[in-house]
Amino acid sequence: MKRFAKWGLTMPATIAVVVALVIPVLLTIATTFGEPKGAFSTYTAFFNSGFRTNILYRTLRIALITTAISLVIGFLTAYVIARMPGRLKSIAIIAAVFPLLTGVVVRSFAWLIILGKNGIVNDTLMSLGIISEPLSMLYTEGSVIVAMVYLFVPLMILTLTGVLEGVPREVVEASTSLGATPIATFFQVILPLAVPGLIVGAVLVFTGSFTSYATPQLLGGEQMMMMGTLLYQRAMVTFDWVGASTIAAIMVVITIAVVTIMSRMARRLNPMAV
Amino acid sequence: MTVSLTIENLSAHYGSTPVLKDLSISVAAGELVSLLGSSGCGKTTTLRIVAGFLEPTSGRVRLGDRDLTTLPAHARDIGLVFQNYALFPHLTVMENVAFGLKQRGIAKPDRAKRAGSMLDRVGLSHLADRLPSALSGGQKQRVALARALVIEPPLLMFDEPLSNLDAKLRVDMRVEIRQLQKANGTTSLYVTHDQEEAFSISDRVAIMNAGRIMQLDTPEVLYRKPANAFVASFVGFENLVPMKVVSRDGATVTAEAAGGARLSFSQDVFGAIKDDFVLATRADGLVARQSGEGIPATLGTRTYLGRAYQYKCVTVAGEITANGALSEPYDPGTSAVLVPVPEQCCILDPEA
Repeated sequence: MKRFAKWGLTMPATIAVVVALVIPVLLTIATTFGEPKGAFSTYTAFFNSGFRTNILYRTLRIALITTAISLVIGFLTAYVIARMPGRLKSIAIIAAVFPLLTGVVVRSFAWLIILGKNGIVNDTLMSLGIISEPLSMLYTEGSVIVAMVYLFVPLMILTLTGVLEGVPREVVEASTSLGATPIATFFQVILPLAVPGLIVGAVLVFTGSFTSYATPQLLGGEQMMMMGTLLYQRAMVTFDWVGASTIAAIMVVITIAVVTIMSRMARRLNPMAV
Repeated sequence: MTVSLTIENLSAHYGSTPVLKDLSISVAAGELVSLLGSSGCGKTTTLRIVAGFLEPTSGRVRLGDRDLTTLPAHARDIGLVFQNYALFPHLTVMENVAFGLKQRGIAKPDRAKRAGSMLDRVGLSHLADRLPSALSGGQKQRVALARALVIEPPLLMFDEPLSNLDAKLRVDMRVEIRQLQKANGTTSLYVTHDQEEAFSISDRVAIMNAGRIMQLDTPEVLYRKPANAFVASFVGFENLVPMKVVSRDGATVTAEAAGGARLSFSQDVFGAIKDDFVLATRADGLVARQSGEGIPATLGTRTYLGRAYQYKCVTVAGEITANGALSEPYDPGTSAVLVPVPEQCCILDPEA
């Protein structure tokens, strides 16, 4: 009975995931191996196309840069928030998470207005006389990265605040009492203890930005296509379903690989684990 | 190397609530002084101010001829042992112990040698490569002790270091702490709420209440001659009977308790006795008998203590706990007198 309760309670979710996710994903991947030209022909085609591999590399590059910038900004912010007194801390966390209450499209769209030809940045710079011609900031890797960092930093802050709050006060005090300056305590005690959280945050941001669609669509356009937008174009514009499935399969494999590596690192580096 | 610690007129507030009120203590070089009191008495606050984790509202902290008051915590050179050990979970036992040496810029080989020999002294060299999560509570506290001692600090401070250990280990560890402290001759401040622990480990004990020191003395004096009613009840004087002098005849003073019970006291034994005072005794300072000069009482529940019987008594002066001889067990309801044993009694000033 107990056993049934344990498994039975997870059944609805398990069935939903299997039917709605596992089976379709497997079917999608299966179609990529059914080409008459050979099982791996679509993959060879993908990796032989400079256009498509460029998009893959760009996607990886944007995702990694976004992750790196989010880690730094998120860590510094979380460090400050974690040390705030109770009430102020709650307000700061709510403020940090507030952007998550609106949709991804809305938040990406905001950057269109900020970075556009007649956007706030150009208007300000021109009225200050710093530039005479509006800068074209949209449809660059930079604009995509800026928007994605903005999208993902709240997740990073949330993850890291929890981790940094978990560093016991006494451990920091012990370090101080043993003669470690605040900087030494930060690098020798606080940062190492936060590594597992940094990795969890990195996994969240990397998978999110690697697979993003709306942001590169709005801010990257045709020139700065990423895997998500390429996939959409293959499936919905050129109706190349097998090509689109191939892209999806490659994305799944890369995401799983990165997540596996990172969570292995997290487990190895987690000193709190018994 | 051994220096004295002087705490002068320390006051501290938590928000607007005062937690320390003009507190002064001096700990002689090589001495171990305990701060003893229930939670909220200010003992931990005092330790945290000395460590540099809290700022006092006023007052000074001096270690030898150094004034620590405004020095940042990391520059104070104080070995600290925490209640929850506070080991670095990401460092091995060896790295934990060597941490303080590393901060002092000591080269790696020398570091390893000194940390190694300190681990030897606490009997943990075989665990040098373990992480703290793989140690028992007692082992963790030994590592914490080694980590604090290896930097050879002029002052060691302990914040309830044994409260997380089981009873037997607690006794073993406090002997060990005392031996290491004596061998190094390190001036020490020890915070605890456990009277037995404080009395057994310390040269002197400061009993604290509400941000003040009620009495600072050797355990022997505190136990036998408490200076006031608070300390008396803290060290186990169950009976505090307020009395008023009614007549004086040479060295003999006769005083009356509430309800009219009269007792006489010799000023040769107790010194000069004021008109109002409190008679403080433990249960063994009052003997339940059938006759004699004492407080009339009706005996209540009898408990067997091995060396004596103990009675909860109802008297005109209130409830009193007294002992009675094993040879004469009395039943509840028996009328008796409670006769004071002068050498087991203290005469205290009434509470202000």
